[in-house]
Amino acid sequence: MPNRRAGTERLAPLVWSAAALLVVFLALPMTAMVWRAWGESRGLTPEALRVLRRAMGLSLATTGATMLVVALLGTPLAYALARRRFPGAALVDTLVDLPIVLPPAVAGIALLMAFGRRGVLGRWLDEAGIQVTFTTTAVVLAQVFVAVPFFVRAAKAGFARVDRDTEAAAADLGASPARVFWTVTLPLARPGLAAGAVLAWARALGEFGATIMFAGNNAERTQTMPLAIYGRYYANDLQSALLLAMVLLGAAVLVLLSVRLAGGNAGSAGL
Amino acid sequence: MGDPVVRRFGAVVALILAMLATQVPGAPPTRSAPAARSASACPAPATPAAVPAAGSPTPAPDVAATPVAFPGGGGDLTVFAAASLTDAFERIATDLEAANEGLRIEFNFGGSQALVTQLAEGAEADVFASANTTQMTAAQDQGSIAGTPVTFVRNRLTIVVPRDNPGGVASAADLGDDGLDLVLAAADVPVGRYARDSVCLMGGDAATYGDGFVARVAANVVSEEEDVRDVLTRVQLGEADAGIVYVSDVTADVEGQVTEVEIPDAVNVVAAYPIAPVQGGDAALATAFIGYLLGPEGQATLQEYGFESP
Repeated sequence: MPNRRAGTERLAPLVWSAAALLVVFLALPMTAMVWRAWGESRGLTPEALRVLRRAMGLSLATTGATMLVVALLGTPLAYALARRRFPGAALVDTLVDLPIVLPPAVAGIALLMAFGRRGVLGRWLDEAGIQVTFTTTAVVLAQVFVAVPFFVRAAKAGFARVDRDTEAAAADLGASPARVFWTVTLPLARPGLAAGAVLAWARALGEFGATIMFAGNNAERTQTMPLAIYGRYYANDLQSALLLAMVLLGAAVLVLLSVRLAGGNAGSAGL
Repeated sequence: MGDPVVRRFGAVVALILAMLATQVPGAPPTRSAPAARSASACPAPATPAAVPAAGSPTPAPDVAATPVAFPGGGGDLTVFAAASLTDAFERIATDLEAANEGLRIEFNFGGSQALVTQLAEGAEADVFASANTTQMTAAQDQGSIAGTPVTFVRNRLTIVVPRDNPGGVASAADLGDDGLDLVLAAADVPVGRYARDSVCLMGGDAATYGDGFVARVAANVVSEEEDVRDVLTRVQLGEADAGIVYVSDVTADVEGQVTEVEIPDAVNVVAAYPIAPVQGGDAALATAFIGYLLGPEGQATLQEYGFESP
């Protein structure tokens, strides 16, 4: 016993310093950014202000549309994956998870190959006079592509946790399958759905790589906040870049807090 | 346990909306100025290709056309260079490394404005080659440059379209065609600035280019890129109908994929490329490299890649 205790005591400083090093490494960039942003908070030029507001507006509008698509199409998929055994379910499961680990540049190039003007589908769309690339629609498509997995995973876990006996009881009492779904299953799965929605929204809000490759960089149609940060930074307008970064940092903190405060269960459902 | 999540998500969204509504701190009262649409605003008359650009660095360099020898034993030379110089500089590096034992040349290519930002943030380099005077001056103003920049090469603009020319661009005047997907570099990128200047010159000739040409072109810009090679890529991939790049960008590699549509000299803009040693870099290596570029061999290679002598 004494030996063992001595061992832990010798280990403790090492453990602590390694842990502290990592914490500092994570905290330093954020602190430095906030510090610089504070220092640079002079009055913005009207031009910079217009860029900021447009980017924020575009980010809100596109992530809003993205969440609508993700929720409307993701919920049925999550339900199917949680409840039904169907051929290829494991494959679909993997496919849904893929965008989480896929580099955004790969997502961007893949979207181009599908919906680009010379893409598999884009070629037909182009002939029909429908253009996807360089439009706000392309921004939403890129966001849906990268955000869907976060929602589906969490929603699937939410559905999986719903007590089947409660559903059966409702059915025994004469509720139709649709009624059971709307009044029993969906409300009980809500923590998972909500946590998934928050995480998916955060991912959509931060989407950059696939967007710039697939949707291009157009101030009025496709320049969301991450693209504006990139653009302002390289235009030597650090102040605007930092301000936008602050807004996104704030949003990220709020997202984490909301997931955490709402209970570890829901938060850990998807991840 | 379920409802708090939903309510909190709502709260998050509400908070963010509130942040946006109350706007950013330190911002002056907003009464968005109506004009100043970056692409359609033409400054004072731009300089056509026929006249050398005003305020460009002295074309007669004191470094002179007598190449300086590289220090014996070589060394590592880091060059920050405008993206348009990529192919020519890589070839020059191959030549120089073969001729000077122990010499290793590393490049960082990008939009000149991006390179200036990187230098400002403390990136280490020995030489900076910019595609315009504006960005070289910005580098000088922030104290990144040692000595006086010299113009070592010039370039011209051209329109590129995908080989099948989906937008039917036959002349520069077609850049204003309704619904054309045009890609330019951003206005802070040298080639983006030159392209806008050129479009402004076209706009001054209403007889050839029609009324409201500048505004029509501005409305056609679907994407603004961070360097000239990104503009070229969009056209190569066939995603854009047209782009404005340098003549030197249409290399043998891309000739099969894109077609050039000439910009007439009267409305073309000559790009002047200044080069200078970077503060804190290896001065001997930098001077030797710049001297080589100004000398006959360097100039010959640059011309081979579509550039013009200063």
